[in-house]
Amino acid sequence: MKQKIGVYICQCGSNISDYVDVDKVLDSVKDLEGVSLVKITMFSCSDSTQNEMVDDIKNEDLDGLVVASCSPKLHLPTFRNVAIRGGLNPYNYVQVNIREQGSWAHSDNPKKATEKAIQLVKAGIERTKYSNALEKTVIPSEKAVAVIGAGIAGMKAAIELADMGLSVYLIEKDFFVGGRITQWEDLCTVEELASDTVTRLYDEVKSKDNLTLFLGATAENMSGSVGNFKLTINIRPRYIKSDFNKDKIEELTGKCKTLTPNEFDFGLTKRKIVFKTYPGALPDIPVVDIKNAGDDINIINEFKDHLDLDRKDESITVDIGSVILATGSDPYTPKVGELGYKEIDNVVTFQEFKRIIELSPNGKLKYNGKDIKSVGYIYCVGSCQAEGNMYCSRFCCTCAISTSLSINKRFEKIRFYHVYKHIRTYGKQEVLYDQAGRQGDIFFKFDEDEEPVVSMVDGEGTITFNDLLTDGEEISVSPDLIVLVTGMVPRDDYKRVAEVFKAPIGRDKFFNEAHPKLRPVETVIDGIMIAGASQGPKSISESTKSALSAASKADALLHKGEIELEPTLAMIDTSLCEGSGLCIQACPFNAITMIDAGGKKLAQVEKSACKGCGWCLAVCPHDAIELAGYTNNEMEGMIESLITV
Amino acid sequence: MEPTTTNIEKQTAAGVDVTTYDALVIGGGIGGEEAALNLANMGYSVIMVEKDYSIGGKMVHLSKVFPTLDCSACITTPKMSETIRHPNIEILTYSEVRGIEKDGKIFNTSIVKKPRYVIEADCTGCQLCEQACPVVVQDQYQYDLVGRKAAYIPFSVAAPRVAAIDIENCTLCGACERVCPPNCIDFTMKEEVIDVIVKSVIIASGFELFDAKKIPQYGFGKYKNVIHAMQMERQLVPTRPYNTVLRPKDGKMPDNIAYVLCTGSRDKTIGNPICSQVCCMYSIKQAQLIMGALPMADVTIYYMDIRAYGKGFHEFYIQTKNMGVEFVKGKIAKIDEKDDGDLVLHYEDIENGGAPKTATYDMVVLAVGVLPQNNIPELFKNEVLELDEFNYVKQTDKLVNPGMTTIDGVFVAGTSSGPMDIPDTILSAGSASAETASYLRRL
Repeated sequence: MKQKIGVYICQCGSNISDYVDVDKVLDSVKDLEGVSLVKITMFSCSDSTQNEMVDDIKNEDLDGLVVASCSPKLHLPTFRNVAIRGGLNPYNYVQVNIREQGSWAHSDNPKKATEKAIQLVKAGIERTKYSNALEKTVIPSEKAVAVIGAGIAGMKAAIELADMGLSVYLIEKDFFVGGRITQWEDLCTVEELASDTVTRLYDEVKSKDNLTLFLGATAENMSGSVGNFKLTINIRPRYIKSDFNKDKIEELTGKCKTLTPNEFDFGLTKRKIVFKTYPGALPDIPVVDIKNAGDDINIINEFKDHLDLDRKDESITVDIGSVILATGSDPYTPKVGELGYKEIDNVVTFQEFKRIIELSPNGKLKYNGKDIKSVGYIYCVGSCQAEGNMYCSRFCCTCAISTSLSINKRFEKIRFYHVYKHIRTYGKQEVLYDQAGRQGDIFFKFDEDEEPVVSMVDGEGTITFNDLLTDGEEISVSPDLIVLVTGMVPRDDYKRVAEVFKAPIGRDKFFNEAHPKLRPVETVIDGIMIAGASQGPKSISESTKSALSAASKADALLHKGEIELEPTLAMIDTSLCEGSGLCIQACPFNAITMIDAGGKKLAQVEKSACKGCGWCLAVCPHDAIELAGYTNNEMEGMIESLITV
Repeated sequence: MEPTTTNIEKQTAAGVDVTTYDALVIGGGIGGEEAALNLANMGYSVIMVEKDYSIGGKMVHLSKVFPTLDCSACITTPKMSETIRHPNIEILTYSEVRGIEKDGKIFNTSIVKKPRYVIEADCTGCQLCEQACPVVVQDQYQYDLVGRKAAYIPFSVAAPRVAAIDIENCTLCGACERVCPPNCIDFTMKEEVIDVIVKSVIIASGFELFDAKKIPQYGFGKYKNVIHAMQMERQLVPTRPYNTVLRPKDGKMPDNIAYVLCTGSRDKTIGNPICSQVCCMYSIKQAQLIMGALPMADVTIYYMDIRAYGKGFHEFYIQTKNMGVEFVKGKIAKIDEKDDGDLVLHYEDIENGGAPKTATYDMVVLAVGVLPQNNIPELFKNEVLELDEFNYVKQTDKLVNPGMTTIDGVFVAGTSSGPMDIPDTILSAGSASAETASYLRRL
């Protein structure tokens, strides 16, 4: 038991001392058994006080340290460091929170706030008395990362990680890289074409020796913990041999007759069963869609020497230290009949519109064979909804407006009507909004609670709404094409991905970050990072930034090749354990196994998997498990002192 | 190049010992801290130069942050303390980079450490000098809401927590010197020039607030009850000087407060055509905080468009609307002051017929925008750091390498490249640090 504890009561400027009578706290604890020194400090965290504590530990030969100040979330590491600098084990330090749980919470009642602070400090001293010196365990970790998704964010993160010297597994479920931006080609706010960007990144991906790209691959299962995960990947066959004969495959493609809707063009076009999603798709190897082959199966068999028809799904397992989820987003798909979608011929989504532009012949914007001379945008479809997707999709305003500008450079004059709820061309993108107005685009604003109506009027698809910019007047426009400016939603398989990686999901169904302000690419699961639009709607540049941030976090975690584990782990008292196995069921991290010790069944904790959550303690019928740093002695001592006035 | 394992490498250039660092980070705000910490955690050595007495930048002075209403100081100070304590980070406060010259793969850098007239290593932050000092001037850290002494600790959570003497206002009476327990006040302190070699540079120098006096029709500086948003922010922080919100002219608790959005943003007449990205959201946040501080007060926000675009922002805006904050679409043309200090706003009520209207308020808050710091290119003596058309540091490969600038080895983070909120700044800084790390590896 600790006999020479130093206690520091912090005023936190006046944050604490305005409401808590710190002198009274000092008087109440100074004569307690085991306390050898009590001081009041202005700012315990300041350098000068820290140095004073270090000197006290050394000069007074303290064996325990208590600082009564703010939340341990804020300064626990600070004072553990002070303990170390003074030569004390950091786990003989206890932080007592008398600010968030004291002065701030009870600013209306200083007397009670003081009483509470006294009890909390006494409990902290009691805990310190029973505290044990603990040592962190260091385990070797894999210098390897899996990146899920080879869109812009995934490729960029993978390249950077490879540059940093880590082994990278880049796992893409599609057979081609590039993700959603390949469907756009004409990008917003920059001159660059999507295919150029994707080619640039793909070439870099291919040039890295320590980067392995898996296509047609999905992550199936993951076990282990930060630093040492095992990830199982399923790889579907492409059915084309890696050393394929280009002429033969072209001949095969020529002979194939069966056509299926091309998902890449949202079904606007049809494709063959031997195909690339678009002519420039990378890698430049087609894929065979055997499932939809139909009558073409005979032709396929004719060419079997050039194909890999016997190939089955393959499963491989890789050892990794960390994961970056860069699974991207899907466009919001309106319900049938939502603003005329799929009911009125000339209503399309924005993402379909981007394909229509790319599929249009030079100089003429065409849809269903008809010339398009005017376009009506309806904004916030699937975003900023009163119910459902309440979030703003962030990219749509800028991209829709940017497209209205670029389209007019590419085709003959096209008139744009923008029917909006909010125009959010934030930052420098504002100038595009201004340019669109100058180009002659017409903007109408509808009320947040009064969505426009799309209906057939005199045989024409028509948008009707009350325009707030002209005193709520009812206005109808019948453009050649009605474009629903649809936002982003998570990928359709987000739940499956989240399950594999235990990644947390937010209310908006995107992956959730550890802290929205300061830790936007980390999750509460150690070692699992999130990047790009999988965390929430983002532009390309914003996705790249988050991918690079995630890469730097992964490198910081893994570059040393070893990981420190907190010593606050479950400990089994083998003399008490009866092998009930209840702890195994309770453990959320599969960290406990049953071993046979000379005929007796005993529970055993795997240190690298234990997170010190304490579930097992609560269910053990024989009280055979203790949590280091939170032992029964420490906890009971605290409770005893809390209830003793 | 592998990360330097030791903090400091000594190199001899021209017979003088010059310290070499892997990276120079200009600016110790939240962006600079994030970039420096990332690099330091990856094993690189960093020197950070901060022009102010303390690191922490603008964020440490905010009350709560949108959309989560986290206490800003409480989430910033651990980051500041982590930066200060990191063995791979060296920090020079109250210092400015004077010149950077590229020489092959290195940058010869000259830094000026200005005298704060207090010996940093000895000061305990006891504030006795502050109590002894007879001079009272306006406190720039409180945006002139209250006074401070000429000998002072910049602000309560300053890092380092070391006093400074404001020599401009000091009367050299010597009162501080006489009371200082460790005798660390030194009026003979001189400007010091520190030369270092760095292998890369991250510009994270942040932004300037728009000076509301440049729109004279709003009366800022003339009408006392017209304040700018940072002044309101300081009235709402946990250590708020008045413990409530007061209007400056007569100390009355305001019953109705108006926000004027886009003050200095989206306005070609003052030369800033772009949107500042943060003002809508900070105004909405302040409106919520005011409803807590003054439950009976009405808040009206005059806006052009509500830019609630980030994660959780739109939801926060709707919540605020539902709490009773009024939103009026209309740009304020001008503000008049009545004899009693009340303010009359002239605006076009766009959504209700578009007629010119007036409305009277006890207090007006100008939601001032952000502007670039445009002295950055001058630091580079033999290379050209280009700016974009809005005078922010030009990003030469925005989509794929967002931190890249026109100088190889120089990267940009946070609001030095454009208006940005805190999460975007963190991402931008993370990105710049990753790009710097791979640049250093290629060296």
